[in-house]
Amino acid sequence: MAPLKPGEANLGTTIMAVQFDGGVVVGADSRTSTGTYVANRVTDKLTKVHERVYCCRSGSAADTQAIADIVSYHLDLYTAQHGEPPTVSVAASLFQEICYQNRDSLSAAIIVAGWDEQNGGSVYEVPIGGSLHKGEFAIGGSGSTYIYGYCDKTFRPGMSKDECVEFVKNAVSLAMTRDGSSGGVIRLAVITREGVERMVVFGDNLPPQYLG
Amino acid sequence: MAPPAEPSTGFKFDNVKRNQLLGDKGYGQPTATKTGTTIVGIIYKDGVILGADTRATAGPIVADKNCEKIHYLAPNMYCCGAGTAADTEFTTKMFSSQLALHSLSTGREARVVTAMTMLKQFLFKYQGHIGAALVLGGYDVTGPHLFTIHPHGSTDKLPFVTMGSGSLAAMSVFESRWHEGLSREDGLELVKDAIEAGIFNDLGSGSNVDACVITKGNVEYIRGFSRPNERAVKEQSYRFAQGTTEFIVPTATAQGEEAAAMDVSA
Amino acid sequence: MTSIGTGYDLSVSTYSPDGRVFQVEYAQKAVDNSGTAIGLRVKDGVVLAVEKIKHSRLLVPQSNRRIMTAGKHIGVASAGWMSDTRHLVKRARDEAHNYHSVYKADIPAKIIAERMGMYVQAYTLYSSVRPFGVSTILACVDKDGPQLYMVEPSGQFVGYRGCAAGKGKQVAKTEIEKLKLEELTVREAVKEAARIIYAAHDEAKDKLFELELSWVCAESGMLHAHVPQDVLADAIQHAERSLDEDDDDEMEDEDL
Repeated sequence: MAPLKPGEANLGTTIMAVQFDGGVVVGADSRTSTGTYVANRVTDKLTKVHERVYCCRSGSAADTQAIADIVSYHLDLYTAQHGEPPTVSVAASLFQEICYQNRDSLSAAIIVAGWDEQNGGSVYEVPIGGSLHKGEFAIGGSGSTYIYGYCDKTFRPGMSKDECVEFVKNAVSLAMTRDGSSGGVIRLAVITREGVERMVVFGDNLPPQYLG
Repeated sequence: MAPPAEPSTGFKFDNVKRNQLLGDKGYGQPTATKTGTTIVGIIYKDGVILGADTRATAGPIVADKNCEKIHYLAPNMYCCGAGTAADTEFTTKMFSSQLALHSLSTGREARVVTAMTMLKQFLFKYQGHIGAALVLGGYDVTGPHLFTIHPHGSTDKLPFVTMGSGSLAAMSVFESRWHEGLSREDGLELVKDAIEAGIFNDLGSGSNVDACVITKGNVEYIRGFSRPNERAVKEQSYRFAQGTTEFIVPTATAQGEEAAAMDVSA
Repeated sequence: MTSIGTGYDLSVSTYSPDGRVFQVEYAQKAVDNSGTAIGLRVKDGVVLAVEKIKHSRLLVPQSNRRIMTAGKHIGVASAGWMSDTRHLVKRARDEAHNYHSVYKADIPAKIIAERMGMYVQAYTLYSSVRPFGVSTILACVDKDGPQLYMVEPSGQFVGYRGCAAGKGKQVAKTEIEKLKLEELTVREAVKEAARIIYAAHDEAKDKLFELELSWVCAESGMLHAHVPQDVLADAIQHAERSLDEDDDDEMEDEDL
């Protein structure tokens, strides 16, 4: 795996995705930094790669944007050739293939989540190195280290959509306040059969927590 | 045996050895020329305003006191460049040509996202070795657009952006004063103040402010929009009176027996 | 073919004045000389059957298979040159494997049919190559259910409910058209397929032949496999009996 090059924009990040019956909730902070400077405080790290498949990007901004663009192209091609939208599994497999083949020159850790007709909501994780893991929820980025305990304690299989949204808000908020590389606003997306619903939580509206 | 003939074509890698040697001896590797710069862009009521300072540096020397950092990309698109001077210059030149061909083949005015995508894919391919940090602004069928493009190929879409060594100074101006729906006058004033913040507070930036206002179907390139560093008129004459310094006719005397006075005055 | 001998049939890269590519048509002839191959798509699976003509009594029974497996869930039956078939099956296996390595999913029937079609079609474009002398019948069950495709030497690929290639294809197609394929089970289809191959067999021209039968269905775990020995034996028995009945009928007709 490639370390970040000097001057490279970094998504020192908190990202996560949670599966529920009928869809997924994805969330992320909004900070992009170059060294100690915040290059973008309202970044959208939740990137659409197909109608109902999103990815959460962490690592190098350049690498993850390039990967998302390539996957998005391949999924469009897939749709044209197969005459139907790809499954989340197919999208995750493409991310994995690209991340693994180019593992020596990429620094990218990506969560792929979305909804498809066959499997409903599903969450996949492609960490640095290019392996592929399916899970009921996934967290990633530098901020995620602060919330493993919280997430393991809080997550229950079979949560409702609204419970998942609250879970993501709380977890990302906790990570953002402890991780210097995460911050800004919380961006959220709920992906279901009906479509994609985007939400933003501003800094003055974060869930209550101890702030010293 | 004759030494192998020097090839007349192809690459020479002699400098690799030299650089390695310099590095090993602790002199550090030679670096490419980078311009300390302040470049900015904002979205305002009717379009986009780009701004830049005009100082070009070569190490500690000011190489050009009034250079142009806002480059032409297409009739509806301009691009400010920071980073390695040659890279920003040639990258924008190359893509202005690419975009002209693109417009010709599509029969339409090129979109700003198209330019952004071409630039990011090009820079990503070179993995940051092409040191071009760009602020791209333009107006197309889908409205006004403003992007930053980092040398590694990442892009950001924001309503107000700054780049270069003076970007922190300039951003502090934007963060405190930018708001949605700025008028042309207020927008230009804000851009001027942001660039001047770079000019005055960043060593790498200096001289004048260039601006470029891009609206639907119109571009106004304002060279020297602000000149905060004009050389002041001198209070008095500092010319020395003639004869202040005595002029001595020099003579040279050669040493040795054949020495003879040499007349140099002719 | 009126234009034979006029020089327009020497290369696949030359059209005849009336817009034909003779080399492709000759490849089709090679298919038409082969033993019959059929495919039946029924409600719960797909069945392939082939009339393997034997040129010697010394051949080991059930050797030199003419039905092969291209991917775990894909069967290939072919009519035409067996050497070309083996090459195409290798290509089909590579395509199935490649698809799986990219998408981590089994290749759908229409995609492998399309890719095989594209590959075969490329051999109708260049003067340095010869078109494939085979029609390939692909049987597969994917997420949309049972699928049947046939790829011809021209590169044309079409989806079918039932299809036939080889010397007995006219007889076979007539018989297949009489079947209610949507209502048949694979168990029934296996017997019908055997009967059709036996009916299409021309005793006068080819004395020796062996029936090959394969399927993709729940009983084979949704994988492609040759049918078990007992099923094959039953099917052959059924086919021989119905041939005899037909013969009896004909004799009765004659009596009348």
